[in-house]
Amino acid sequence: MRGSYAGGEAIAMNATIGIDVGGTFTDFALRDGNGVERTHKTLTTHYDLSVGFMKGMRRLAEHSGMDLAEFLGRLGSIRYSTTIGTNALIERRGPKLGLITTAGFEDTIHIGRGRSWADGSSPEAIADIARIRKPPPLVAPEMVVGLRERIDYAGKVLSPLTREEIIEKLQVLVDRGAQGFAVCLLWSFVNPTHERMVKRVIEEEYPEDYLGSMPVMLSSDVSPKAGEYARMATTMVNAYIHGIMADDLNRLGSELADAGFTKPLTLVHNTGGTKKASRTRAVLTHNAGPVAGLYAARALGRVIGSPNVIFTDMGGTSFDIGLATAGEIHTYDFIPVLDRWRSNIPAVEVKSIGAGGGSIAWVNALMSNALEVGPQSAGSMPGPACYDQGGSEPTVTDADLVLGYYNPDNYLGGSLLLDADLSRQAVEDKIARPLRVDVHEAAHRIRRLVDARMGQEVFNEVGLKGHDPRTFTLLACGGAGAAHACGFAAYVGVSRVVVPDASSVFGAYGAALMETREVWERSRAIRIFQWAGQRYSTDCDAFNSVVRDLRDRAARDLRLEGYRDDQMTFTLDLDMRFGSQYTLTKIRAPKLEVASADDFRRLCDLFVQRYSELYSPESTFLAGGVNIECFSLTASVPRDVHLPPPQPLGDAEPRADARRGARPAYWSPAEGMRDTPVYDLAALLPGNRIAGPALIEGAQTTYVIEPGWRYEMDGFRNGVLTRA
Amino acid sequence: MSSTAYGRDHEVVQRLRPEPPSAEELAADELVSGVEFDIFRHKMKMVAQEGKETTMRLGASTGMRWGDVAFGIFTAQGDLAVCATGIYFHALLGQLPIKFLVKHWRNDPSVGCNQGDSFFYNDPFYGGVHAADMGLAIPIFHAGRLICFAAAAVHTGECGGTDPGGLGNGSRSRYDDGILIPPLKVGEGYQLREDILTMLATMNRDPRTMILDIKARLAAVRVVERRIQDLIAEKGAAFFVGALRRILTVTSEAARRKVSRLNDGVFRQARFIDTLGVEPGLIKVMLTVRKKGDKIFLDFENTSPLIPDRPLNCYFQGAVALAALYLCGWFFYDLPANNGLLEAVEWKFPDDALVNAKGDATTSLAPLSMNTVYQAMFQCGARMTFSYDPERAVASWFTAFAVPFYGGLNQHGDPVADVTPEMNSCGAGACRDRDGVHSAGSFFASMSDCSDVETSEADRPFVYTFRGHFDGSYGHGKHRGGSGTGFGMMVYEVPAMHMGGFGNGSRHPATPGVFGGGAVPPVFIRTVRGSNYRSLLAERAQRPRNYGELYRPENPETGTPVYHDISMPIEPLNEGDTFYVCTGGGAGYGDALERDPRAVLQDLRDGVVSAWAARNVYFVATDEHRLRVDEEETARLRAAERAARKRRGKSWEAFHAEWNRKRPAPEVIRGYGSYPDPLDGMAAQDRPTAAA
Repeated sequence: MRGSYAGGEAIAMNATIGIDVGGTFTDFALRDGNGVERTHKTLTTHYDLSVGFMKGMRRLAEHSGMDLAEFLGRLGSIRYSTTIGTNALIERRGPKLGLITTAGFEDTIHIGRGRSWADGSSPEAIADIARIRKPPPLVAPEMVVGLRERIDYAGKVLSPLTREEIIEKLQVLVDRGAQGFAVCLLWSFVNPTHERMVKRVIEEEYPEDYLGSMPVMLSSDVSPKAGEYARMATTMVNAYIHGIMADDLNRLGSELADAGFTKPLTLVHNTGGTKKASRTRAVLTHNAGPVAGLYAARALGRVIGSPNVIFTDMGGTSFDIGLATAGEIHTYDFIPVLDRWRSNIPAVEVKSIGAGGGSIAWVNALMSNALEVGPQSAGSMPGPACYDQGGSEPTVTDADLVLGYYNPDNYLGGSLLLDADLSRQAVEDKIARPLRVDVHEAAHRIRRLVDARMGQEVFNEVGLKGHDPRTFTLLACGGAGAAHACGFAAYVGVSRVVVPDASSVFGAYGAALMETREVWERSRAIRIFQWAGQRYSTDCDAFNSVVRDLRDRAARDLRLEGYRDDQMTFTLDLDMRFGSQYTLTKIRAPKLEVASADDFRRLCDLFVQRYSELYSPESTFLAGGVNIECFSLTASVPRDVHLPPPQPLGDAEPRADARRGARPAYWSPAEGMRDTPVYDLAALLPGNRIAGPALIEGAQTTYVIEPGWRYEMDGFRNGVLTRA
Repeated sequence: MSSTAYGRDHEVVQRLRPEPPSAEELAADELVSGVEFDIFRHKMKMVAQEGKETTMRLGASTGMRWGDVAFGIFTAQGDLAVCATGIYFHALLGQLPIKFLVKHWRNDPSVGCNQGDSFFYNDPFYGGVHAADMGLAIPIFHAGRLICFAAAAVHTGECGGTDPGGLGNGSRSRYDDGILIPPLKVGEGYQLREDILTMLATMNRDPRTMILDIKARLAAVRVVERRIQDLIAEKGAAFFVGALRRILTVTSEAARRKVSRLNDGVFRQARFIDTLGVEPGLIKVMLTVRKKGDKIFLDFENTSPLIPDRPLNCYFQGAVALAALYLCGWFFYDLPANNGLLEAVEWKFPDDALVNAKGDATTSLAPLSMNTVYQAMFQCGARMTFSYDPERAVASWFTAFAVPFYGGLNQHGDPVADVTPEMNSCGAGACRDRDGVHSAGSFFASMSDCSDVETSEADRPFVYTFRGHFDGSYGHGKHRGGSGTGFGMMVYEVPAMHMGGFGNGSRHPATPGVFGGGAVPPVFIRTVRGSNYRSLLAERAQRPRNYGELYRPENPETGTPVYHDISMPIEPLNEGDTFYVCTGGGAGYGDALERDPRAVLQDLRDGVVSAWAARNVYFVATDEHRLRVDEEETARLRAAERAARKRRGKSWEAFHAEWNRKRPAPEVIRGYGSYPDPLDGMAAQDRPTAAA
């Protein structure tokens, strides 16, 4: 896991490159079979993401001493974690859609289970009930039509659908300017015949050879799960961003092909895998970058002997949290929100909270001068006061600068000059004076508070998933991760933190490591232990037929990706519940099919065991009955990821030229400012150890080694922080 | 009223405000310094949030499933210090059962209060609402010393009353309300007692949900127990005790500080309930709010008297908590929600009052009178806070429930008894600068949602006929309220289902507007026995797609339609019968004549306002074919209406004299007390205040 900007070494054939688009930078990570690893960052070009994309490719080609065509010709795959769809959604750039649903339920998307105003909102906004607002609709009320059809909970048709009605309603939408259709009928995940009929009629009326041909998305294809609101929203969002993504990716594919890359472009999915762009549902690309970062964390955890890792990424405005346990990434019951829309996609959860270097500190006079950090953020514009871009509010970055942790002349390798006086002024005026403390203590309090908040959020997140966070290794990524790792790790309770060498491009690195994978889901309620009668089910067909259907679909899909059956592996997760509970608890099925009541008993045992671990043995209730509600089949093509071997560890004492002198830094009110040694990260070698307090400056980040902590560079050039 | 042995404890329920700090808390206070306290506050918020999420995840009743959960962490004396909820009154009232058990059981050798114990309760006298609201609390110890309590309270749909579904319209005394359990030890040594669970399940029509909900609460408080023990291990018990107390102190100070920023004044609001349970009737809740200095005084004098044999009564503690619900959600939205806020509030209740229940009076429908208190508080609050924070001086969300309840066997043969979740999709009130939000949620449980139709149909024996915005269900105004939600259900795949309705506002608007805005129109229930709806489905007939279409002449549904007040007594409906109901919208803000005609036009286009209302309420003239505003004609209509208003105007004296000649029919005011002022009918000795 070596980041390198040194050029010269040509890459081997079939190299893989991962690309992660962020708010400020687009990151690149390149790996080949000979152990070459190379990273790069370019500025994200929001007006056209492909500009930054191609610029980064050219730079990597230059670093490899090759022209672009030769470089691209050697690439086996390009794995792209794109934000095209997310940006289109946030900026509301999608087409005018028509939404087709069951008559009488046309308002479902606008009712949004009542509380859609809270989805995607901050806790502070949610608490301010007087000022709530629902998100502007993606589909206007006049663009929703209802069909006079009805299917019941068991899939029985209560009211049939006719072709004539479909054509009539279709014409209404076309006349109103529809450019695409999302279709979500009640209970279509149990019986999709009516939805398929709608699609068939639309395709017959507007065949592909017509200029008026329009995409049709069925909820039973996009999201075959119970709960019509999330299913409808997922289908709607998918339809909304589909065209824009397809156009942009086609253009990018053409540009790459013209430049010499003739293979299909691969996209990173938020389900934790990659698929060809042509076989990707748009909605699965949302938030894929942080998920790719989590995959890199899992890979690194395996290499360094830490199967249980907490992945964190602290940037300017947000702090991401993800989890890998026992060397795997498990999916948990949660509601992925796409901008402001609740979905039911099988995404891996990477939680994001509003805390980062740009978070603004303020004094809450109402609450007896309590110090608060966030939720407001200075973002990157105007940014912290020290950026001298017009910001005057004290931020976390300003506090770090006041404390002496950042070198104003060598921040991010000198790429951004900071004005320490502006930071001091902001902290003095807005925090120190109201709290009646000196500016250093004020800055110290800001830092402690934000570290505590992040650490407590991490603890909560891991705890909610039934694990003890204190037994994990914490990975600190992102521009501010190394500066705050010691601080927030203390509130998680971990004693070992690893700052990956490639932490500043970790999402891209993860993308390069990921395997081909897709999750196939279907809601199907099966009562495997019945309350009435207290017996286990014997209806194996009900179970096996769902699994077989999912496996057939998954295998067909992978064959179309070019894989053989013997390359594929399948795992089955089941969402289960006691009796009439709503929320589901996921377990991994020991085998894909069941053969007897004993197999159902085994599933119940696993469910009860998992439930006990998560909540408590007292809270289990087998006698209340156990249902399976949803099947999730993960189909993947495993690939061997050979990471280069570690470099041998050398002396504990850094070389003399690694030392960059000392500067005053503040570590506690008792000590005040104290001369603190400063090191150059690039000059440190594996095996070097540095006791805190110390500061280590790198091109992408600054390590803040707090008193009581020790830094050691491992054989992969990762920074390992341990509590002394 | 005094307490008797084995009777209810009238002393403990007076203790809604924080207890005086204990010597231990005072001694610990100096350990709690600036940033450490700020960090602690955030940690406790996270811990409570984890408790709430866990409760919601594991529960089974409608309330649990859709987020109607109050999770609290209480001091060792029982004061609520930290909570995670949108249903603040449950959290605030949750301190009473804990204070009860501290007072009675902690040192009782036959009961005790030890590590690993758990206590269940649902007696509304201590919980303050009605029997369907149930809670579970545990004490949390460190090194053998009681440090604090954690508790989860939530509405479990069925409580074994005379009517299924937890809401007894027909209750005649508290013995009809269902099980009434004061704090009762249900678990010891980290184990629930199966004999007690069996007893609770036996007294309930939906035993599985009852047990799942109890276990959900327990799992959540146990998670929180572990977190708190870890925190104590790290920070020390003294710090924890001191910091928990400090949260209360700081909140009290902040609340008083914020109240002091309001102008002093007196704000009055008379609100009315239009049901006595199974029969209609008018009842008055009179609230006078006096704001002076850093205190808000609530006075309920001149409220209708107690009605011993009707279920509308509520305990005074519940009324206080509902007034506080407004404060927590709207005025103190930026402060921690705990009972420190009540240091800024004082109250006075007449001894004989609907809102000061006592004795054997039933409180099964107490939420209706409590909501009316809330509504009165909301009206006073909007006027009281306007000069300080006009953006949050808003019109009220719909406050009259309008929720069906049901009981019977579902299509799988399992017993079910509960309410439907659509009460969590009422319209929100309008604001100074915008219209209210359509189908926004529930004013009393803002974190809850209204579920999916599919989720309800999966294990409830209904086929929904439609569910959508009920256009026109809001209050008009310069800014209109958001629409409520109308829906219909056909009884499906069971021979019959018992169904009734809970709420008020069918005969008298329950949710008035503010600053000249209109009230939310009445809501009601329609049932159709012997409906042909199933055939209409099979025949693909044009069926009503929303509540408004039910009333069109071309509605093809046949059978025996009956209109009911929202407070509909429970009755069996047979398979195929239909049941229609709607939640109301939000109230209006400001004079409808000031509404931007373009906004009226947009509402016309969206079908949110009728052409009649556009013309006769907003006085906007439109070209119906081109859907454009005729600005000249609009100006003329509005000028004419303003002139007509002036002509209709009367002096106060003339209005008063005319109004006082009017009098509702005797059967309408039989529960009202002396009309128009209940106070006049009360003997002086009957009027002393009960709580102050």
